[in-house]
Formats: sequence, C-alpha cells, structure tokens
Amino acid sequence: MTRLDTLRGPAEPLDHNARTIAALAVNPGCDRRALLDAAGVDKQRTATHLGFPAPFGQSPFAITRAKSFDALVKANGCAHLLRLLRSTLDLSISEASYSDISDVGGNDDHQVRHTRTRALLKRAATDGDGAGTLFDHPLLKLTVAGHEVYLEPAVIAFQIEGRFHIVEIKSFAVIDDQADAGQVAAAARQSAVYVHALRALFTAEGLDPGRISHNVVLVCPKDFANHPTATLLDVRQQLAALERQLSRLTRIDRILDELPIGITFDLETQSPDEVGKAVATVGARFAPECLASCEMSLFCRAEARDRESTDVLGRAARDELGGIESIPAVLGLADDSRPPSPEQLEIAEQLRYVRRIYTEAVA
Amino acid sequence: MEASGIHGFPVGPLIRCGTVELDALEKRIAELRSEIRAAKAAGEHATVRSLRAELRKTERAWDVALEPEPEPAKAPLLPVREQVHQALTLLGVPTATKMIVTVNEAFFAGHIATSQLTSLRRDEEKSFRSSPFARPYYLCAALTSELLSPARGLLAVSTWPMPTRIIGPLSPRADFLTSATRIAEHIMRLTGAGEDASPSAYRLLTRMAQNIPGAVDGFDQADPTQVIAAAGAELAVHEESDASHRDEAARRAERQLNEVRQLFGAGLKTARTA
Amino acid sequence: MSIMSSYARALAVQNGRAQPVATVRHLHLSATPMVFIPLKLAGEAAAPLAALVGTDPANPRLLVVPQPRNRDLRFAFMAELAEVLLPYIEGLAGVTETVEAKTPYERCADAPQLLVPNRGGIAFTKLLGRSTRFRRTDGPYPVHPSVPVLGQWLTFLSERAEYAGSSALVSMTDALALHWATGQSSMEDANLATQLAWIAPPEGLDGPEAALVAEDPLTSPPAGPETHPDFDGQVLEYAIQAFETSGSAAQVREALRSQLEPTWTLMWQGVRLLRELPEAATVEARWARDRDQFTRETARLAEGGFPRGRVDGAVSAAIRLADLESALQAYEAQRAFDDPLVMIEHRVAGKAFSGEVVAVDATRRIVPAGKTRAAPRPLVTIRTSDPVRLSPGRRLVSSRNRKQRTEIVDITGDLVVIQVNDQMGRGATPAPGSVPEVGDVVCYAELDPSGGQRPRLPAGEDTPWTHGGPPEPYVPTDEDAQEAWS
Repeated sequence: MTRLDTLRGPAEPLDHNARTIAALAVNPGCDRRALLDAAGVDKQRTATHLGFPAPFGQSPFAITRAKSFDALVKANGCAHLLRLLRSTLDLSISEASYSDISDVGGNDDHQVRHTRTRALLKRAATDGDGAGTLFDHPLLKLTVAGHEVYLEPAVIAFQIEGRFHIVEIKSFAVIDDQADAGQVAAAARQSAVYVHALRALFTAEGLDPGRISHNVVLVCPKDFANHPTATLLDVRQQLAALERQLSRLTRIDRILDELPIGITFDLETQSPDEVGKAVATVGARFAPECLASCEMSLFCRAEARDRESTDVLGRAARDELGGIESIPAVLGLADDSRPPSPEQLEIAEQLRYVRRIYTEAVA
Repeated sequence: MEASGIHGFPVGPLIRCGTVELDALEKRIAELRSEIRAAKAAGEHATVRSLRAELRKTERAWDVALEPEPEPAKAPLLPVREQVHQALTLLGVPTATKMIVTVNEAFFAGHIATSQLTSLRRDEEKSFRSSPFARPYYLCAALTSELLSPARGLLAVSTWPMPTRIIGPLSPRADFLTSATRIAEHIMRLTGAGEDASPSAYRLLTRMAQNIPGAVDGFDQADPTQVIAAAGAELAVHEESDASHRDEAARRAERQLNEVRQLFGAGLKTARTA
Repeated sequence: MSIMSSYARALAVQNGRAQPVATVRHLHLSATPMVFIPLKLAGEAAAPLAALVGTDPANPRLLVVPQPRNRDLRFAFMAELAEVLLPYIEGLAGVTETVEAKTPYERCADAPQLLVPNRGGIAFTKLLGRSTRFRRTDGPYPVHPSVPVLGQWLTFLSERAEYAGSSALVSMTDALALHWATGQSSMEDANLATQLAWIAPPEGLDGPEAALVAEDPLTSPPAGPETHPDFDGQVLEYAIQAFETSGSAAQVREALRSQLEPTWTLMWQGVRLLRELPEAATVEARWARDRDQFTRETARLAEGGFPRGRVDGAVSAAIRLADLESALQAYEAQRAFDDPLVMIEHRVAGKAFSGEVVAVDATRRIVPAGKTRAAPRPLVTIRTSDPVRLSPGRRLVSSRNRKQRTEIVDITGDLVVIQVNDQMGRGATPAPGSVPEVGDVVCYAELDPSGGQRPRLPAGEDTPWTHGGPPEPYVPTDEDAQEAWS
C-alpha cells in the first residue's frame, strides 16, 4: 500500500464511481491503467500535466437531460418505477415502500450513509415481507486494489420476494424496442459494478450473495417521449469481466515489483517530463478503443506512434498482420529486408506475397 | 423570497433586497411611525389621520417595490406562499415543489418558478422562530418517520395533523394516490359547478392515472370517477400499514420535539435539506 | 479488414500518407449530390439542432433550432428542411426513361443522392424520418404538410443505405475508407477531418501531422451529429439562453455555423477526391437499382402510400434480410471483379487466383450428369503463384465473363485445371472467344456477382403461426401520429 501512496504523492486518492470502475474492465491487459487506478491517481490531471488532456467530456445538455429523466422516474413516490416493476416483474400492489438513503437525518457523511444502507438492506433481507421494496441512493463500498472505495450511488436497490435487483436509470432512448448498442453495453458494465458491490455487502453481512439478481432493471425513455420504459438486462458477462479485472488489481504487486525503486507520479513535485518518464516505465496496452474511455489515451497513443507500434492501426489490423509488434518489422518482412524468426515464417510469406501483388495492382 | 416580504414580515428579507428605493421607503416608514407616535402623544388627531394615510401609501409602495415585475395580465395577485398554500390545500398531503408548481398552473392559473420555492421553507422557519404562531399557517416540512428529520424536497402545511406530515416507507405511494384522488375530486367539483377544468388539469390527471393500476384505459384521457375508484382501491391496500407508521411516529414527534422541530424537523442540517 | 488493407495501413504510416485500396470508384457519385450535415442536441434521442444542406458547395443553407427543446421549433426546422430536400427529390422524379425489358417500364433517369459525413449521420437521418413520418397535418399536434412527406423520404433513403452498394444515402467516411487506407485505425477513420488529413494533407504537412492538427476541435469541430461537449458548455448553452431572453436566433445561428462550415468544406473535398477516380464497371447497374427503387417509392407515395410501420412483420423481415444478404454478396463480388486491388483480398484468402493460361483442351466433350447427349466441356489449365485454397468441384466465375459458369477439376502444384460449363454458343464446339486461349492472363474467383438465390419464403398472408401468423397490414394510428416528441 505504501508504494501505491508513494506513486500518487500527497494528493488524495481519487474517488471511484461505477463508470471509472467499469472502464477498468474495458482493457484488462493494460498494466498502466491498472496501476494508476489502484493508486487512485487522478488520470485526468496527470494527462493534462503531460500535455495530453483526455479527448472526451460530457455535454451540459446531456447532464441536464439525465438528471431530469432520473427525477421524472422517481417523482411522486417512484410512481413510474412502480408501474414498470409491476408490469415487468409482477411486483405486487402492496409492495410500494420507499426509503431514501441520500442522507440520514440530514447527515450525508459517507460512513453514516453506508452504515444505514447496510442496516436497511439487512433488515429487508432477513425480515421478509413488508421490510422494504425500494432503496434509493444506497451507498455501497467496493475493494479496489486493497483500498475500500465508496461508490457514488446512482441507482436504486429493489427487493422482490427476497431477491434484490439493481435499478439503473439512463436517459438514452429505446426507439421501437431498440436502443443504441454502445450505450446499453456501457449501462450493463456500470450496473455490473453495483451488482458486484451489493453482493460484496451481502457476503460481509453473512447473507447469500446469490440473492442479488444478475438481471438489472434498466429504465429508459421510450421512443421520442419522456415516458419511462423498463427492460431486464442480463449482466453476467460484464460481472465476470469486472471480477477478473478487480482480481488483477489485487495482484498489483507483480507490476510494482518490476518498477524502479522510488518512482513517483506526484504532479506537485515532478515536471511533466519526469512524470512522463515515470509513467512510461509502466507498460501500457494501447488500443484505439481507449480513446473513448481512458483519460491517458492520447499520451499512450503518442507513445505507441513513437514506437511505430502496430497497436495504432487497431486490434483487428494488428491481428491481420500476425500480431507483429512494429510497423517497420511488418514492412521489413514484406520486402525481405528483415529475416523472419521461425515463428514468423508463415506471416512473412503472406506479407511478401501481399506486397508483390499489391505493388503490381497499384502500378 | 420577494413574495414572502409581505407587509409586517420581519426585517430580514429587506436587507437582502438592498435597493436604494427600499432603503429610502423603510426610512420613511420609520419616520412616519415616530411622527404618528408624536402626533398621538400631542393629541393632534387630524395630523395622525393624514400621517396614517401617508404611512399606508408608503407601505403599499414598499410592497410594490419588493414584488417582482408583475407578470402581464394572467398572474394572480397572490404572493407565492399563498399560491403554494392553495395548491397544498387542494392536494392535502406533503408534496414536492414540482408538483406544487404544476397543480398551481393547472387549477389556479398561477405561475411560480421552482427557484422561488428553494428557500421558502427556510424563510418560514425563520419567521416562525422569530414570532411563533403569529401567522395563521406556516409552510413547513414533512418529517421522516424513523428519524423525524425533514423529508427531502417536500412541503407541508403547519395546520395539518401531525400524522399527515409524517413520511413513512409507504407514505410516498399513499400520498401520490391521495393527491390523484384529490385532483380528480377537484375536477369533479369544477364540472359539477358548471365550469370545467383546464386541459392541463386533465393532462396532469391522465399522467398520474397512467401510473395507477386500472385508473385509465390506454392513452385515453382519464375519467375522474375511474381515477378515484382505482386510487381508492390501491390506497386501501397500503392505508393500514401506512397509518400505523405515521401515527406511531407522530406520537413520538409530539413527545420528543419542541414546537419548531415539530414543524421543521429534527435534522442536523435543516438548511441544506430545504 | 484484411491483411491487404492492414498492410496498406502499415505502408501509409511509413509513407506518411494514405494508400489506395481501390483503383476505381465503387459508388455512384451524382452530378448534383445533396450534402447534408445534421447536428443534434446532446443527450436527446432525436432533437435536431442544426443542419447545413445543399447541392452547391458555394451556397449551403443553414437551418437551426434556436431552442432544441421546443417541439414547435423542431417541426418548423423539419418543414424548412423539407423546403430544401423535397424540391430536389421530387424534381428528380419528373424525368423518366423507358427500360427495355420483357415488359418495358418507366424508370427515373436520375435519383436523389444524400451525402452525410459519417454513419452517425445516417443513423440520425433514420431517426428524423422515424420521428416525422407518422405526423399528421390535422388533429391535436398538426404539422406542416411537407413534414410527413419528408419523413417518408428520409425513411426511404435510410432504408436504402442498409443495402450494400446503394448510393442513395452515403456516409463520406465510409466512402473514403472504401478507397484509401490511412495510417490510423478504422475507428479513428470515422473522424472525417483526420481521415481526409491522411488522404490529402495540406501543403507542407504529412498525413500524421495534418491528422494531429485536424484532431483539434477548434479547427475541426466534430462532423456530427453530436457536437463537442466544450462547445455545448462554453458557447451553445449561452447562445440558447440569449435566444430565450431576446427572441433572436442570431447568436445560435452563428455558433452553429462555426461548427458546420469546416465540415461542409471537408465534405466537398471528399466529393472532389472521389470524383477523380474513374467509375467502376458495375456502379451504373447498381445505381439503376437505386433508381428503380426511387421510381417505385415515388409511385407508392403518389398513390397515398402509408408510412412504413414501426416494425416489420415476420415474412417481410425475413425477405428483407435475404435481400440484404444477397445485395452484400453481389456487391462484394462485383467490386472484386471491377478492381484488381479489391480482388487481392480474395486472392490472399485463397478464394480467387490469377495466372496465365498454359493449356486449353477446347474440343473436349462429355455427357454431363443428368443429360443424355455429349456437350462441349473444354478444360483450361492455368499456372498461378497464388495460394489457392479451393478444391475440385467448386464453382468459379471468371473476370472476363462474369456469367460463364466454370468449376475446378484438378489442382496440382501451381497448376489449376478448370472446366467451362456454359456460354459457349449452341455449336458442337465452343464459339470463338468463349474460352480463354493459351497465353491469356485470367482471374477466377469463388464469388457470385448475381448475389445468389433468395431462399423461398411464404407470402405475407401465409406467415406461419410460429411467426405470429399473417401480419395485420400497417395502418397509421392516432397514437403514432400524436406521439410525443419531447
């Protein structure tokens, strides 16, 4: 732990949320991301410090829209949500209780809210009927690389007949029963984080984590109106990916062992050049997909370009080129200026052939 | 804020308005009052009468200066707190600001911006603290049943019985059903009196009815009698359990909390939950 | 994505410039394409924000929705868009030609072509069509009469875009990627500005340098339909507020113009680059299909045809899938036969080969299976250095006669023997020129430019109960017409 603290420097470790944790599972092979996240380094600030600010952000219009839709679904004692749960999960009429844990008697301290979340959910899980149906803003905890982090609660936990579900409210539209695949996938990854955290809470309370369903209730606007509609989303696959990545983070020692002693990413004391060199000692696995989800992506892409790595061409292209790491190597094998290693014999032959007929056809 | 500054309201809000005009008017009011006292003491009744007339004029000018720019024509002359009271009285249960605004527009052709309500509860609390029960009613908090802390985002009326102002786990649903019933009843009262409710009133009722089993068919406009029947049927399911929670908590509140806290809650940070 | 295009990408990195992956243009390019750059409001399903549209590079028309959350302003925008698009579309429907066929028929001499920057533009066009085609000009939320008509046309165009080889609604980044491999990933090629930077970098810069410059949202705003979040927060939000307070849309217009004009320039640069390429042989035939469909849709709408329903019935969905599949197969094959660079992908995969004819047995006659009389079945032996991965019995098509059916008889070393099965005339020996001669360089491929057979599917009224039974024909409903668009 102390080594991770040294890496980060005196800055407070960054809080995680479902989005940041879900992003971990997108590129599980990347040591750099794993280490920076484990140490709670602010990647956004680091990337900016290095001169490569993250290439994405969120529009204020999208934020406003998300908030207002969330409010609509929960308005009037979750009237919309109850209608949806009654029709999709056959929730009985009598189950309509609602508890808000966004504060406890006006106190919104994380620890207080987490304790309350545990108490309410435990009671709901053990008392059976009438002990609670909807729990808004439950504050959950997750262990990330040995650190306990609180999860920003953007969901509702929901109990029906002893089984618990996560309700995720998203403002992207479902039009004629179809939604944007990328947004559904992102929602599934984030929901999986909550399912995982809720299971961890149950385990810690000595309850059966199997009572948390892998089916998440996804609530979205229907068609072009604001009218909410619900779908069940199976997040087993996302859970598996997440759990694998989280377990990698707990084995972060392997990455630490390979680092030079005394290295730090401290933005206060280190120049951009020094931080850049320090970050470069941890291997990254750049793929163009990172550009949509990782704050460090432009730095890593510049690095991959400097190395003339085939990674910059995309995963599919790299695979087509037999997984050869560098572009000069690809071209060298193709024009016979570089002798192939034994395992490159086959791809080298193909490349020589491609080069010959490509050159013919272009000429 | 502006509209709470009706005549006789404690000085607090004035200072925040802080315009030169208001300052001058207040100074004049104070002068007039002391002149009246002096004239009275001297027994100059005619002077007292004319000074009083001037005082009333100045106070009216003060009221006008404090009110926001009047909305053209349709805006009712009721101050915001009275508009809110009117909507809450129709609904009869603790209600979120957004619903208050909607009901006020649909039934009273009123217009309140949600932003005008953000500090209302806090101002009412201040007013109550400075002179308890000086007003016929206060817009106050609803209290959560377990901790008796102010429930987030809800407004209630101080004259309501304590159990009505308690929010237990089933109360959000029960209160939603009650407000749908009250709205339907109000529409029927209007039609019974030969008037009709506005299209936006029917839209509001229909939207609510869509979330109550059996209250409306498909995408039709809701029928008030059907809404009352359906909401009543579901309410019957929750009523007993909800009422027992509320009654128990209400007894506890009356036992444990002082007057201010009974109205505004036992929270640590009442200000931020307003 | 193939080893050929990946190799071309590697080469592009080395040369600092995009490399060709086609020698001819594989799509139709109208003499007057309609360039359409739509923008939407972030976070909303289909709230149009603005569009730059027109057929004249020097004279684009800017349409904006000064308050995108206002439904009336959105429909006003759609009516304005209809003012631009409907005369263009309907004007083209007026001129027809007679097609000589078994039963001659009339076909529009030209058809509309919409060019949008990227796939997001196509998806958004589809949503605009979906959100307007059911609208009515009377009833609770009436719209201008042109709006539902435009909705039907946008729906038609976005449906055509699903067919491989259609040029009715084209994404510019896809069109460019069909002809050039850049030194960036295919994901990054969805950015029109960086893609064009690699293909045609400005004076003094190489591809990667130009692409870096083009990544700056200040010089190259996103080509839509989403706008840049910083633009939304720093410019657009205030411009919309200004409209709310002043009622003047001037600020919103200027803000959005600044976001659209750079893309407008890029779109026409793309058009010029594509125009420089000679048109591929089969483009005209595919464009004729677009014209056929356009002619049909014109007639259907003239007869008061209903808008397309929200979802397909089981049989029409199956037919559609089969048609899409067949169009894709035909398109892949036609492109390969039209363009030696494209054929490389199939040669590398071993499904096609090229070589010199070394022997011909032109007089060979056999009794084909199932026949009683001997018929000419010449054998042609080709020497190839390609890595052929085909086996005897496989049916091939020749690049010199795409209708002639042939099959592999034998492969030994670098020699491939094929048998020619038809297209040799009615005589006892093959007609002159119908069979290759020794010394000819030929190319054979296991590709079917006719698109294969469509599976036999029941008629709509015979839909089996397992698939929901015969569908109710779609009739527009009040609910569809009054659907909220908030």
